[in-house]
Amino acid sequence: MKKFNDRFQPVITLLARLVLGGVLLVAGGLKLNKPTDSANAVAAYKILPANLAHLVGYALPWLEVAIALLLIIGFMVRPAAVVGGLIMVIFIGAIASVWARGLLIDCGCFGGGGEIDPSLAAKVHRTYFIEIMRDLGLALAALYLYLFPYGKVSFEKAAVEE
Amino acid sequence: MAKQQAKAQDNTTRWIVIGMVLLVVVTGVVFSLLGQNNKENASLAALDGTKLKPAVTASIDTANGSAIVLNPGQATVIDVWEDPQCPVCKNFEDANGDYIESLIRDKKATVRFHVLSFLGDESVRAANASFCAADEGQYLDFHHALYAVQSPLENSGFWSNEKLVAIGSKIGISSSKFADCVNNGSKIEAVKANYDSMEKYGVKGTPTIFINGKLWERQSPDFNLAEFKAAVEAA
Repeated sequence: MKKFNDRFQPVITLLARLVLGGVLLVAGGLKLNKPTDSANAVAAYKILPANLAHLVGYALPWLEVAIALLLIIGFMVRPAAVVGGLIMVIFIGAIASVWARGLLIDCGCFGGGGEIDPSLAAKVHRTYFIEIMRDLGLALAALYLYLFPYGKVSFEKAAVEE
Repeated sequence: MAKQQAKAQDNTTRWIVIGMVLLVVVTGVVFSLLGQNNKENASLAALDGTKLKPAVTASIDTANGSAIVLNPGQATVIDVWEDPQCPVCKNFEDANGDYIESLIRDKKATVRFHVLSFLGDESVRAANASFCAADEGQYLDFHHALYAVQSPLENSGFWSNEKLVAIGSKIGISSSKFADCVNNGSKIEAVKANYDSMEKYGVKGTPTIFINGKLWERQSPDFNLAEFKAAVEAA
């Protein structure tokens, strides 16, 4: 395993950057021109008070895009991965909390969001599971990037810090 | 020495990038907030020039969940369950609101409005104000105005008591009694009673419509007047 990692690490780092960055770019980009939907989507989780939730909803798409761009071009990958990973952990916690409280909502991850008709409960529960697994995978990608931030096709080189 | 310099430069770059990311995020938030506020305030302008229609006496059916009853005693009874902030209720209102109003004004049907408030504080305030308007005999006008200015963002801070009073005065409900009623939350008991009666009537969401006690289930994907009209006329 270690040998495998030693050999392919720069490529794995590049892939992790593109996967995490790519997902964040799409997620943020789709929400960027629909701030109202995004604010409503965050409020639908019923975790934060409405006005705070709206601010988070306004900020999130921009943060996602900014982090995505850093990851994709390969600049300040380690701090970007820390932020990206934290976002994923928060998403996992938020979806788990919604699930545990029995709320039925669209996560609004890629735009949309809001409450869902009770008749679709079974489908929504399956979706929650898939979303948590997906975000867990992305959190692991972020963890890998924290450990090995320097890879192929990148703006920054390991030499400066090491 | 060179290494130290490189390190210092590296740190500077780091702070510049963090600063840029923050700038982007803060700018995004500020523009979104301003855009939302502007849209909401602009929507108020849509009420300019609205003329108050003749008053319709409203009674409160305290025995049955404190609904607002207009034009009682008709053979056809329509129950409308709505939350003023619910976007789908706005769709229903846009499609069928004028028709329902004509049923009331032409004495063709009794309509009971159950004003719900499960979408948060602003629904509670708007529902309270609706009951205040009903006291003035202007429930229909106020109801219409609320949907005309409904914000796409729930609980955005738009429907403060102050704004609700302003909405009233824009359409011609300018008595100090109305303003006091809105500001003091005088109808909060009725608002609560409406909400509490959902369970009794098996109402789970909004809008929910009963025609002569029978749940109306729309077949078309959107609300359309022809379908609703046919259902009412068949009753």
